[in-house]
Amino acid sequence: METSTDSPATVQTMPLTVTVNGIVWNGEVAAEEVLLELLRERIGLTGTKRSCESQVCGACTVLVDGKPVSSCSFLAFEVGGRSVTTVEGLQSGDRLDPIQEAFIRHMGFQCGYCTPGQMMAAKGLLLANPDPTYDDVAEWLTGNTCRCGCYPAIARAVLDAAEVTRRA
Amino acid sequence: MANLRPFRVLQPTTLAEATGALAQYGDQARIYAGGAELVLLMRHGLLEPDILVDIKRIPGLNAIRTTGDVVRIGPTVTHDQLEHDAGARKLLPLLAEAVATIGNIRVRNVGTLGGNLCFADPHADPATPLLVHDATLTLTRGESSRQLRLDEFLIGTYETAIEADEILAEIQVPPLPVGFGHAFLRIERYHRPTLNVAVAAIRDDGHVGAARLAIGCVGPKSVRLEDLETRIGGLTLADACRVIGEAKPELTELLDPVDDGLGSAAYKIHVACALLARGLTQALGPS
Repeated sequence: METSTDSPATVQTMPLTVTVNGIVWNGEVAAEEVLLELLRERIGLTGTKRSCESQVCGACTVLVDGKPVSSCSFLAFEVGGRSVTTVEGLQSGDRLDPIQEAFIRHMGFQCGYCTPGQMMAAKGLLLANPDPTYDDVAEWLTGNTCRCGCYPAIARAVLDAAEVTRRA
Repeated sequence: MANLRPFRVLQPTTLAEATGALAQYGDQARIYAGGAELVLLMRHGLLEPDILVDIKRIPGLNAIRTTGDVVRIGPTVTHDQLEHDAGARKLLPLLAEAVATIGNIRVRNVGTLGGNLCFADPHADPATPLLVHDATLTLTRGESSRQLRLDEFLIGTYETAIEADEILAEIQVPPLPVGFGHAFLRIERYHRPTLNVAVAAIRDDGHVGAARLAIGCVGPKSVRLEDLETRIGGLTLADACRVIGEAKPELTELLDPVDDGLGSAAYKIHVACALLARGLTQALGPS
């Protein structure tokens, strides 16, 4: 039993069944558990990053039923019966998603910390709008900060990925 | 700490159950819809509720309905949902455009109109266009409800007329009168608006026929500028914009802006007048 003074005891747990990257996960979550913690600590998918914890930076972006959310601020129990996609779920076996390939082609990253969030946000965009303009991309990705300043390359990558996907 | 301070979640299936929980638990309980503001406050230790009353399992609260041409918006409608709703876009284009600017795409997927209005952050977007629409609200407690105008509901910074055991059950938004053009303009930093204006106006033979002007974020709450609306009625656009520009002292008095990290009070009033004039020009459309 934990006796850590900075981890107050959970008062309620809830059963949870959720599909993450196509695989069903069953378990119990604390009411206060956030999706980011569930993904990283319980399920072991560490591709999603923690950063601002204020829904501002986008590093923690995942898709819930195809829509981007801040996993840092999304209560885990809310994904019950839903489908979550993380960066690990972009590729299909060894085949990378067109978004991933485009980010590599266009060097849409430097340190890589914001990259999973950028790509998941981009995935959400292309699911909602397969033919975005530059302005559409810029506006949609407004909530994903890149301190390395790769924004132009990111935008080019997303537009390229959109075209590749449309041609496929 | 990556997880929040522990709490219990109640998931009532009726409004009466939910308000009953609020009455029972008082200060220990908070309404939880999208959690866009709530979770942030909890993470920073500014709020430490023991109980979250999740209202998302109450049927109908996330509906957008129309009665006549009044759009009735449930409190748990998300900004993204409202932005893309065909009925709202057709009947309330000003509001649909405004909610599309809130926060970022992730916030819009979870944040709700009800949560936004009840939190009453001065730096918020929807209240400004809703005032131009003369929106009204239904507040419910148990089996009874009361109606308020939005301007009666908004009181001050993080302060509304809602009672501790009431829930905002619906927002009613009449469309703008036929022939009115609209505009919603804002400037922002860090995903929150520094300042926003909403304008609806109609021409009358080359002059301003009538106008509705609302401004948000500069004072503690969004407000209509009724006096200015009256003064610009009947003027040419050029004269109306001049009158707006000359209204800096009265707007300063009315809004009582402060110097802060978003800008000086003078800067905010200057931009406010500029956006009001631009908004009026846009709303009146090409001559």
